[in-house]
Amino acid sequence: MRYVAQKVGFYAVALFAALTLNFFIPRLLPGDPVDILLAKMQQKGPVSEATVTSLRLLLGSDSDEPLFSQYVQYLGNLARGDLGISVSYFPAGVSTIIGQAIPWTIALIGIATILSFVFGVGLGTLAGWKRGSVLDNFIPVTTMFQAVPYFWLALILLYVFGSILRVFPLSGGYNVYEATPGLNWTFVQSAVLYGTLPALTIIISSVGGWLLGMRNMMVSTLSEDYIVTAEAKGLSPMRIRQSYAARNAVLPQFAGFAISLGFVVSGSIVTEQVFSYPGIGNALFTATQNNDYALMQGIFLVITLAVLGTNFIVDLMYGFIDPRTRAKR
Amino acid sequence: MSTIDLGQLADPNSPTGDSGAGAGRKGLTRVFPHVTPKLWVGAGMIAAIALFGLVFPFVVQNPQAISDVGLSAPSGDHLLGTTQTGQDVFAQLAYATRGSLLIGVLVGVVAMALAIVFGVIGTYVGGFVDEAFSLFSNVVLVIPGLPLAIIVSSYVPQKGLVVIAFVIVITSWAASARVLRAITLSLRSRDYVAASRVSGEKTWRIVAVEILPNVLPVLASQFLFAVIFAILAEAGLSFLGLGVSGQFTWGSMLYFAQNGLALRLGAWWWFVPPGLMIALLGCALSLMNFAIDEIINPKLRDQTRAGVSRADRKRLARAEAAAGTTEGATA
Amino acid sequence: MPLSMTNRRRVGFGAIALATAAGLALTGCTASSGGDEGGITANTGPAGDLTANFNPFSATADSTSQGLLYEQLFYYNVLTGADPKPMLGEDYEWNDDGTELTVDLRTGVQWSDGEDFTADDVAYTFQTMLDKPELNRVGFEGTVEATDDDTVVFTFDDTSFVKGPDILGQAAIVPEHVFSKLSDIATDPVEKPIGTGPYMLDTFTPQSYVYKANPNYWQSGKPEVKSIRYIALANNTSATDAIVGGDLDWSSIFIPEADKVLGSNPDVSYVATPLQQITLMTCSNADLGCTGPQTDPAVRQAIYKAMNRDQLNDLAFSGTNKQISPTFMTLGRDDDYISPDVEKETPMTADTEGADALLQSAGYAKGSDGIYAKDGQKLQLEIQVVTGYSDYIAAIDAMAEQLRAVGIEITQSAKSYNEWVAARNNGQFQLTMDSLGQGPSTDPYYLYNGNFDSTTTSPVGEQAINNFARYSNPTVDAAIVAAEQTDDVAAKTEQYFTIQKEIVKDMPYIPVLLQSTLTEFNSAKVTGWPTGDDDTENFPATWKTWDNAQTVLNLKLK
Repeated sequence: MRYVAQKVGFYAVALFAALTLNFFIPRLLPGDPVDILLAKMQQKGPVSEATVTSLRLLLGSDSDEPLFSQYVQYLGNLARGDLGISVSYFPAGVSTIIGQAIPWTIALIGIATILSFVFGVGLGTLAGWKRGSVLDNFIPVTTMFQAVPYFWLALILLYVFGSILRVFPLSGGYNVYEATPGLNWTFVQSAVLYGTLPALTIIISSVGGWLLGMRNMMVSTLSEDYIVTAEAKGLSPMRIRQSYAARNAVLPQFAGFAISLGFVVSGSIVTEQVFSYPGIGNALFTATQNNDYALMQGIFLVITLAVLGTNFIVDLMYGFIDPRTRAKR
Repeated sequence: MSTIDLGQLADPNSPTGDSGAGAGRKGLTRVFPHVTPKLWVGAGMIAAIALFGLVFPFVVQNPQAISDVGLSAPSGDHLLGTTQTGQDVFAQLAYATRGSLLIGVLVGVVAMALAIVFGVIGTYVGGFVDEAFSLFSNVVLVIPGLPLAIIVSSYVPQKGLVVIAFVIVITSWAASARVLRAITLSLRSRDYVAASRVSGEKTWRIVAVEILPNVLPVLASQFLFAVIFAILAEAGLSFLGLGVSGQFTWGSMLYFAQNGLALRLGAWWWFVPPGLMIALLGCALSLMNFAIDEIINPKLRDQTRAGVSRADRKRLARAEAAAGTTEGATA
Repeated sequence: MPLSMTNRRRVGFGAIALATAAGLALTGCTASSGGDEGGITANTGPAGDLTANFNPFSATADSTSQGLLYEQLFYYNVLTGADPKPMLGEDYEWNDDGTELTVDLRTGVQWSDGEDFTADDVAYTFQTMLDKPELNRVGFEGTVEATDDDTVVFTFDDTSFVKGPDILGQAAIVPEHVFSKLSDIATDPVEKPIGTGPYMLDTFTPQSYVYKANPNYWQSGKPEVKSIRYIALANNTSATDAIVGGDLDWSSIFIPEADKVLGSNPDVSYVATPLQQITLMTCSNADLGCTGPQTDPAVRQAIYKAMNRDQLNDLAFSGTNKQISPTFMTLGRDDDYISPDVEKETPMTADTEGADALLQSAGYAKGSDGIYAKDGQKLQLEIQVVTGYSDYIAAIDAMAEQLRAVGIEITQSAKSYNEWVAARNNGQFQLTMDSLGQGPSTDPYYLYNGNFDSTTTSPVGEQAINNFARYSNPTVDAAIVAAEQTDDVAAKTEQYFTIQKEIVKDMPYIPVLLQSTLTEFNSAKVTGWPTGDDDTENFPATWKTWDNAQTVLNLKLK
């Protein structure tokens, strides 16, 4: 119980720090949203003095209030679930925008991360088991893919598979002509097709990490006494590998995996830019371009909550799965 | 499935993996036991890239010079062709190498310094300081890095190299701090540390002399990770238009190539080299990391065929042949 | 007891197998999207998700709704400068001193829900602007009255000839019977828009929305194109890919080397429509706080002469930009407005000797490093630019080399958009690359008023509404006021000549090139796209309000 209490305490502090950071950072940014909006409008058509005045009346923030009372107001609004109105997508509310973008990100990046983990851990198990085998030499290759800048790889793959071979679509989340979002088969089918290439690029570039980590843990675990015992007892190699070695080796990987799930939401920005994917990363990017405080804060908040929440759950589960962490402190 | 008993070759308990079977080793292998080819290959590649970045900017053409030839393929005048404005890609690559390496090293050094302060020193001192530092690093660790970098990057007016490095440092030191903390925790309770404490050595001396050297291999590994992370992060920020301006880096080259629709226009000479350089550097750093891993973790070294040097393998084979067994690895 | 590793891995492999199978099955389908029957697909500019905002009063209203869903009283063609074309208004007339404007409206027009369009709707639209200043984007000040079903009269306190184009050409007329029922006009997104325009909203999702043809449209037989689908795209690369792939029929993005890029698809072509004046804005007025060598007109003139604009056009803009005039009038269309006493055309090649002469007579001497210096200060200037504008950055790269050859040193400062806007508005720059704004009509008044009138500017450190160069010249100010007072073209032109004499001499904005907007289109299903040759064509960009309707109404199905 002390363990749980400690964890709760820690995450409460982290949450508070994140909220405060979230409040201050956008306010430190230069320029205010009205100026940005005006500048953009100027490129496209006439912007008269009257427009300027009308915009300031409509969108201008009451920044005359002292910072502290704004902060209190901000916390109060959060508690009520009011994330404000977005300037770049005015008059849509921030929660609406986040609500429509998040499922895409979670679906794509979540599935890609899970697949990457499963592949990586599976291959890592084999690599650690068959020491000195061909698989071992395969590792530097996958690690090299990790060192390749993600967007570079993604752009090349997109060009090859999307433009030249025309196997995958070039952009978007689903086929807008044929499918409407909802729980219907056409839509799901379309979404899977459009998500395949982005997911593939994520998997290729991150599988190396899981592979290497799992392999190293397997190698360490294999020299433990209980493995020798199991061998001595005459258990089959398959059984030893799965139930004894891998089961224990995967524990730290699992913790790392859970943490990376938390980063699913934030890691999507580059992917979504390359593939024009309608997720939360794109929304954040648009928000920073337009100095849209409310949207930026809303997204950052959601991301932070996701990360903190996942970490919290993982810590609790880890305490449950691995009794050693509970033992002594 | 047999295992080679190489226990006599290494003492797993010693942090630096010093060998008991030192007799018979010549020269370098005495100083760097259990160093595999991986280390040399990796180091060699890094040296080559660093040389390219440090020396070549003095000998190549002016990377800023425009020419009317526009986008053109590699030729005698331009080894890697030209960009949309007729600038020489090879020259830009040389300057970009310097810029990116600078960011990488800068971030690596500062991140490690922070990691040592918050991870090693804080942990060793213990008590409230330890708790506070640990809490701080954990909080920084969970705050999402890239979004924070994007937001801060939009804030800074002049995106100079140092500024971007600073932005990246903020998001990268905490992970290393946590790793170092774990190691320091275990070292803190070792006998020789206790002995030093009892004999009245000053804290800073204990940290510097007893703890840091043992943390060194892991620190080196974390440093290399930080370098490649920094270079990739800078590339990512550049792709989003938030990277370094005013200096060439691999990331900024990729950004302009991307905006100039290099791929679509078939200008592979503009788009591929910077990405390839990043990949090569990353590969080199990973190889070095592997090698360091094998030094730190003797089990890794023992169990992979590559970890056994040829001389040792030959010696073992002879020994086992003499002993009449046919098991064991042959060269 | 958690799943043993075996079970977990079995589940894992099973999932992989399923996903792979599904993926392989799906890749059997081709990746191209079909396109709507009798319709076209368009994109107004990469910006991510689309938001439903069909409220024309709103500043962030969808640009497509103004023109295609809602209409204005008259259409002003800013490309050709032709006389205003009657839309919902048939005729208009000013009284002699410009304080009363009478508009005769078109009869027989219906809203898309079947209700009749009357003068009450027009009066309501403008009255709303008076009642709610935050919605008053056209700057209407005065009174409005519907004198009968087909006539509206606007009255003003002062001479307001120059306000005409804004009122007649920039205000979307909304139905009173719909808008008067909204609880908060300022924030209501009007998700079910009712307008008089050629199209109606069919469906909306954040990824794409569809307009379908309005069967009750007052121009009979039009529109021929049955639907327009707008899709969301994140960046220019995705848009380029879509165009080349035939998935996007109409868009307006800048594509470098467009001929090469679009060459692979024979149905795709593009036009380059010059409209925006690219300039180096200078912080020109030392009295208002500007610092740096650019406050000296001789330096500005030298920079003007030293540019090799042909090279800039080739390297940075793929040759699509056109020659500009130092009077900022569009050559060809505005020839009548250009004073015979000033240089009409900006030279496309560099005049390095002229630049040298100017600098030397201003007291500069070349140093040993080839850069001019005066009183110990090197002639060094900083140009600010937005980091995302790669074409501008390429141009500045080239310009820096050209100017260095003459002896002027340029450093480039690329800033994020936010930072750049803030710096420009506050005058915290020496040179910044930007384009001058467009007015509601081709009358030069709007350009000169916006950029050269000292009443719209402020000292460095304070936000300026317009006139970011901080230019202040009493002769110009007086001429602008005089031009406002009359509707007589000849009299106004005299004033413009006076203004031009001053601004060409002082050059607070250094003209670079006339920027072309590229518009790409696909002729596989639809013809009638602009060709760039016809003198009666309109601005074809997808994001241009009001012109968008004119473009689409010209299209015919194959």
